[in-house]
Amino acid sequence: MIGSDLSIILPEIVLSLYAMAALIGIVYTGKDAMASLATWATTAVLVAMAVFIALQPAGTDVAFGGMFIDDGFARFAKVMILLASAAVLAMSHDYMLRRDLLRFEYPILVTLAVVGMMLMVSAGDLMALYVGLELQSLSLYVVASLRRDSVKSTEAGLKYFVLGALSSGLLLYGASLTYGYAGTTLFSGIIESAQGDLSLGLLFGLVFISAGLAFKVSAAPFHMWTPDVYEGSPAPVTAFFATAPKVAAMALFARVVHDAFGGAVGDWQQVIAALSVVSMFVGAIAAIGQTNIKRLMAYSSIAHMGFALMGLAAGTQLGVQAMLIYMAIYVTMNIAAFAFILGMTRDDALVTDISALNMYSKREPLKAVALLVIMFSLAGVPPLVGFIGKLYVLQAAYDAGLAWLAVAGVIASVIGAFYYLRIVYYMYFGEEVDELDNTSSPVLSGFLLAGAAAMVFGIVNLFGIEGIAQAAAATLVN
Amino acid sequence: MSLFLIVAVPFLGALLPGLMNSAGRKACAGVTFMVTLVAFVGLLSQLPAVLAGEVVQARVEWLPALGLNVNLHLDGLAFFFAALILGIGLLIIAYARSYLARGDNMGEFFTYLLLFQGAMVGIVLSDNILLLLIFWEMTSLASFLLIGYWKHVVEGRQGARMALTVTGMGGLALIGGLLILGQIAGSYDLSVILENREAIQASPLYVPALLLILLGCFTKSAQFPFHFWLPRAMAAPTPVSAYLHSATMVKAGIFMMARLWPVLSGTTEWFVIVTTAGLLTMVIGALIALFKHDLKALLAYSTVSHLGLITMLLGTGTAFGAMAAMFHILNHATFKAALFMSAGIVDHEAKTRDIRLLGGLRKLMPITFVIATIAALSMAGIPFLNGFLSKEQMLEEANRTVLFGAPWLVPVLATVGSLFSAAYCFRFIGHTFFGPVRDDYPAKPHDPGAGLWLPPAILVVLVIVIGVAPFLAEPFVKLVTADVLGAAAEVPKAYFKIWHGLVPALFMSIIAVVGGFLMYLVFAPLLRAWDATPRPDAKPMFDGVIAGAVALARGLIAPIHDGAFTRYAAVMVLAVLGAGYYAFGTGVVGATAREMQPMTPIAVGGWAMVIAATAVLVVMHRYRLFALVMIGIVGLMVSAGFVFFSAPDLAMTQFTVEVVTIILLLLALNFLPKRTPDESGALRRIRDAGIGIIGGIAATALSFHYLMRDAIEGPISAFHVANSYKGGGGTNMVNVILVDFRGFDTYGEIIVLGIAALLIYALTETLLSGPVRARLLNRKPDQAFAGDAHPMMMVVLTRVIMPIVLMVGFYIFLRGHNEPGGGFIAGLIVSIAVVMQYMASGFGWTSARLRYPYHGVIGAGVLVAGLTGIGSWFVGKPFLTSDFTYVRIPPFQEFELATAALFDVGVFLAVVGAVMLSLESFSRLARRVDMVESEHPMEINPARDDPAEDPLNELRKARTETA
Repeated sequence: MIGSDLSIILPEIVLSLYAMAALIGIVYTGKDAMASLATWATTAVLVAMAVFIALQPAGTDVAFGGMFIDDGFARFAKVMILLASAAVLAMSHDYMLRRDLLRFEYPILVTLAVVGMMLMVSAGDLMALYVGLELQSLSLYVVASLRRDSVKSTEAGLKYFVLGALSSGLLLYGASLTYGYAGTTLFSGIIESAQGDLSLGLLFGLVFISAGLAFKVSAAPFHMWTPDVYEGSPAPVTAFFATAPKVAAMALFARVVHDAFGGAVGDWQQVIAALSVVSMFVGAIAAIGQTNIKRLMAYSSIAHMGFALMGLAAGTQLGVQAMLIYMAIYVTMNIAAFAFILGMTRDDALVTDISALNMYSKREPLKAVALLVIMFSLAGVPPLVGFIGKLYVLQAAYDAGLAWLAVAGVIASVIGAFYYLRIVYYMYFGEEVDELDNTSSPVLSGFLLAGAAAMVFGIVNLFGIEGIAQAAAATLVN
Repeated sequence: MSLFLIVAVPFLGALLPGLMNSAGRKACAGVTFMVTLVAFVGLLSQLPAVLAGEVVQARVEWLPALGLNVNLHLDGLAFFFAALILGIGLLIIAYARSYLARGDNMGEFFTYLLLFQGAMVGIVLSDNILLLLIFWEMTSLASFLLIGYWKHVVEGRQGARMALTVTGMGGLALIGGLLILGQIAGSYDLSVILENREAIQASPLYVPALLLILLGCFTKSAQFPFHFWLPRAMAAPTPVSAYLHSATMVKAGIFMMARLWPVLSGTTEWFVIVTTAGLLTMVIGALIALFKHDLKALLAYSTVSHLGLITMLLGTGTAFGAMAAMFHILNHATFKAALFMSAGIVDHEAKTRDIRLLGGLRKLMPITFVIATIAALSMAGIPFLNGFLSKEQMLEEANRTVLFGAPWLVPVLATVGSLFSAAYCFRFIGHTFFGPVRDDYPAKPHDPGAGLWLPPAILVVLVIVIGVAPFLAEPFVKLVTADVLGAAAEVPKAYFKIWHGLVPALFMSIIAVVGGFLMYLVFAPLLRAWDATPRPDAKPMFDGVIAGAVALARGLIAPIHDGAFTRYAAVMVLAVLGAGYYAFGTGVVGATAREMQPMTPIAVGGWAMVIAATAVLVVMHRYRLFALVMIGIVGLMVSAGFVFFSAPDLAMTQFTVEVVTIILLLLALNFLPKRTPDESGALRRIRDAGIGIIGGIAATALSFHYLMRDAIEGPISAFHVANSYKGGGGTNMVNVILVDFRGFDTYGEIIVLGIAALLIYALTETLLSGPVRARLLNRKPDQAFAGDAHPMMMVVLTRVIMPIVLMVGFYIFLRGHNEPGGGFIAGLIVSIAVVMQYMASGFGWTSARLRYPYHGVIGAGVLVAGLTGIGSWFVGKPFLTSDFTYVRIPPFQEFELATAALFDVGVFLAVVGAVMLSLESFSRLARRVDMVESEHPMEINPARDDPAEDPLNELRKARTETA
């Protein structure tokens, strides 16, 4: 009984043990001198776990009496989370080392955050949900303020923490209401109570849980922390925030609304659709005025979360599939974009103003083309893969009868295209400015070029994730 | 050749020029030419089928789940455009080979060109709109690369930005429009969409779809008010201008309108928008073209004008208009490409395109002169050249069109447009080629080699052939028109003839040509008038729009995202309130299940005290100590509330926790100023008060709602009532839950508590060894020290009370299982007793008397609890399974022994250790290294003669001296 349960959560156990063993081992040996080794080792462990999970046979396993669900959906999200985290770690190494930021706790905190995220996507119970969420959040609060001597970084961490605590409180409030009115914390039990017209208690529970989760996915109007935290955190941490946690939170969102409230689609559809449309527009409009690329990416991710939520709002299997595909594409694009941003330095200091990109194409034609591809893909311009992602969610929303949402999404993407195109314009036609450093970090260039290549060649068959996402969505929505 | 190959060949071939780059310029251009030729021949091989009226199809699935499939079809319309793209492409490639300078990277140029070509062919052959959109955006991308090809040309940058912004956003709008169209029709296949005219025009989404699609088409085809980007994209090399900006890319918008003509046209919306935009574009473009000095700019505006003409013809929605449009596309492509190439030749040879620096080239460049003149005259609408024929048809159609209820409007504007058009054609010929030969050309011009003049010459031959023998083109144009019209209308019977008789169109034509020539004759004064007239310029307007958008975005967003924390919280809270309101409005409200309880004076009094204390707290919160007192009152009243509602366990816990918290806060207050500084203005306070009041009302309403109703059938307390004594051996349910039913949770909790305390300790250690300590020491408390550090009364009292409190703690602990109490509460009580010793007798005195380090106490507690749990393994039960028995040891009465009690010991120890460790850590921050630990806990000791050294005396002295 317990043995089989443990074998189901083996990846989580391995990662937790690794994190703890590494922490104790490093504390008693080299401390920060071991940080480099720890970073690479963690990257390797994360990739190994991703491979391990990806190779698991299909099927749904439930552990601990339904608290932990290991199904296709969870595995899909977990592989995404693990690979994204590993990629960000690999990209961080040089950057942090050069700025004397590479503390040994960084890879360990990332590992713990990843464990939390994996718990989140596998949660089958409000308790498991909350434990996973908090493990993730607490790790992230700390990483946000990793640059302790910087006021901005500290402020970012503090803001994130206080607002995060507020949202956790909301979520808990919702969870306890749900528990009170469903009589159980298990999703499988809640869904039996939450059928048809919801009672006020369950509805409040749903709304507050949604509000808490919306904060985690940084959906407007719960997005306020995002630009400040993205700007204040060290750039690799920002890259991390923009990728894995978003996947985890979005997957968790999907799990809650489908596994626990799948019987009352109409009730949450409107809420999520509202979040979606506000996020898309806030993200698109706000980014127009930004010149700081980190803030710009923050608004960009808010807008993208709006699109992913659009898939979720559909409330159908196609919607979940669209959301998963969208997130996979989003994460790939963001990793590539941040691989570029991490290399935006002048005299070794990070330059965040986009005007620094003026005439970049003249000096680095290859990277400029790669970034062009990424930006066009982020804007959702065909034939790049970003377009396919948008198309999926639009279609899912339309099929679910949310035509207005799809139209709004199109309009928002037109507005949002402006700032992506502006970056491209700067690169190709801007005025000459001081050159950026000619950093030729093979890791960063590798991720940038690989991401761009994926955006171009992924159009062929999306690297086969379409079918996997469909199967994953089928395990969630039935 | 298969349609797939026709589309794929340019893409595959795009690899070759790059590879051939090192093999020399000739090879590079040659291979590009061959690739295009292959595609062209492949296209021609389909001609018989097309002429037979068949629609050649090729279909293969790509992402069928999305409806994205590689479905290609080739009908007359597609063939027409594909032939234009590939045919003119061949000429452009030949031309570019001679045109590009030695320093230009041929491989790069031809790669982009082939990519662009492939994308264009893809657009016109696509049967699937998603595929079409993909190719559509690829043309934007490729054109962007081509425009930016000459990176050294600074003036091109602004143009490229406009081109990119306008066509990019337009493309996205088109995506939206076509997706809506596809959803209405239920298929993304054009062939299916085109059959759903009624469904589409009846749909409520028709107008949004139409607007989005037209936005895409107008931006791509540079229609008013998006006409401004095209002339500014002219910084590209001339072959690019000739290919993209006259013959092909800008026709993509026209193609789209023609393709969707059967389903979109015929409505008032279509007619008014498209015709108006076309007409305006035609007139404005022609007017601006007349006064441009740059040859390419002149041609660019003339292209804009002619695209407007075609758009207007499509907008009329009649079959004849569509036919005229198709015919004019053919004619325009021939003469305009020839003109661009001629302009390029002039630029190439004379090294300038400024018409004011030119003139008299007729003698120096006779071949170019002939070519350019014929093409320009055709554009002006001179008989026996093809431009005349389609212009006649246009005027005829214009004559029949009634816009805004005014039958004269369209004909007059069409004539005016044609008049300007003729004028700039004459100016183009006259000012470039006629006049005296000058001696100040930047370079001495002469006719170029055949490589440059042959391509336009071929086109000019076509101009003449069609112009003289229109019947040759007639069947083909009608075939194309049939495919444009689809099932919506019949192809008109009208014949293509040079002489139509004395119809109004002829007179309009004559007016236009003669008027145009007159304008040319009086050009100099006209130019002065034009230059003197203020007129809007696109660039500042575009920049203004961009700047305005940026400012607007900032204006909208900045007030919210200003970094102010309170604002973020306010937005979040408001959003939650909104969400709650939504939930309240849509949820099912059950009937009340409970009676209101009577209002007893005690309850009302307690309630009033909570409210009053809270209100005072809000008002006075800047005075921290006072606020703390108020918080204490609230906490006590809440505890009293628990008593009132018969929850003594909660009440006891709450009481003790309150005390500990207040002590903790007191310690913290020590470091803080007495008063919180004012930072918020009145407005913000009003806002916050509003939000707070709304939130409070909402919370109250919610609580009231829940208190009046049962949550679920059968509350979960029933289980505990039934099993608490039977299974846990205790009658105090709360305690049984804590140490037995949910013992594992408690076990986890005490570990967390211990870790938290250790963390506080670790943090304090770090702080004390860092620079913070110096800051703490140097801070100036804003209150004077109390005169008496260890007041005797307090010392005496705490010491007397100590054993009593310990006894009470022990008692509370023991009775826990059956009566209110337990390890947790006992732990807190004991902690309070010890803390009091610290406060009263001083740190040194107390710690000297404590034998066990708190770390150890915490560890012991966790260990005891853990070992209790493990104990159950020895009897083969799971971890923490409890057991109890009743024993009787004389002379006592029978009493109960439960493993849960042992577990409770662990809880007790952990709580004591954790509370003490954290409180001690905090208090350490306040202690000063220079403060001598008092040996004597009491400063005034009646039993002692020598007065104790007051530890604060030194400090006081120092302070008075500085003051």
